[in-house]
Amino acid sequence: MGETNTILSADFKPQVDANHPEEQSVLNKSQVSKDTSVRISIILPTNAYFMAGIRDFTMTVVKNMTGFSEQWAFRFQSVVDELTNNAIEFGSAPGQDIKITFVSTQNKSIEVYVEDTGTGPNKKTAADMSAFLAKNKGVNPASITTIRGRGLSQIVSSWTDFVEFKDNEKGGLTVHVIKNIVQGES
Amino acid sequence: MAQVQITFQNDTFDNKALKLIAFAGQLDETNIDSEAKKIYQVIQEMPEPNIILDFAELEYMNSKSIGYLTDWYSKIMAKNGKIIIAHPRANIMDILKVVGITQIIHVVDSIDAAKAELSEVKTKA
Repeated sequence: MGETNTILSADFKPQVDANHPEEQSVLNKSQVSKDTSVRISIILPTNAYFMAGIRDFTMTVVKNMTGFSEQWAFRFQSVVDELTNNAIEFGSAPGQDIKITFVSTQNKSIEVYVEDTGTGPNKKTAADMSAFLAKNKGVNPASITTIRGRGLSQIVSSWTDFVEFKDNEKGGLTVHVIKNIVQGES
Repeated sequence: MAQVQITFQNDTFDNKALKLIAFAGQLDETNIDSEAKKIYQVIQEMPEPNIILDFAELEYMNSKSIGYLTDWYSKIMAKNGKIIIAHPRANIMDILKVVGITQIIHVVDSIDAAKAELSEVKTKA
């Protein structure tokens, strides 16, 4: 299975003239075969300012590179937004980075990794997060009365098939989620 | 940064004061804390807050904005008021369902339906 790697900076705004011959060439090369995974990584500063752009990018990736429906593209927007907000709030200090990696496999799955540096004021370990999710997943959502506490336990866990937390080599946390395309669900 | 516009309009139902609050744009981590204060102010100022949240032009809301929604609900209920959500887009309805908001706040498909719902609820009460 082939993989392509792309790293975009947070303020990357591609300008594409699809009618230009050279752009046509690039666009043709970027066509993804059905059995190929595409890996795209985005590194952004620890600042929620960039989240609207990340949501737009997530929508584009899920709608155009996976085979998921628009409904699931919207859902994965929320999943990525919640995971990244957690990384901003708990994981990486201001001035540090957060890395978001999308791995899309056409007609099969979308995977997302969100990595922080563990330099934030409220650092959480993989064990902390696994325990939190185990405790709160499946709780009646209507029973939650606090302003926080719905992102991971309700939105992320409901709209993914797999959630895993790992302590990474930077001293931070990496959250890995997978959503598989299920016939009739996408 | 996400952009959102919130507009407020006075209305009535059954000779009672009603506030129509329309959202346009996206509610996320960058703006919800400041925007939420405007809603709290409305709730504080109304003796019996009857509020319709018009979500027709709301494109995105994150978990924290949903958390504020539940807090507004609690404060409105504490003052014997009522809150109805009107006309959310499909993606907004989807997220409201997954976090259980539709179990506690009525959601209808138009402003007229929201007003009718308010009257019905008040009659029953």
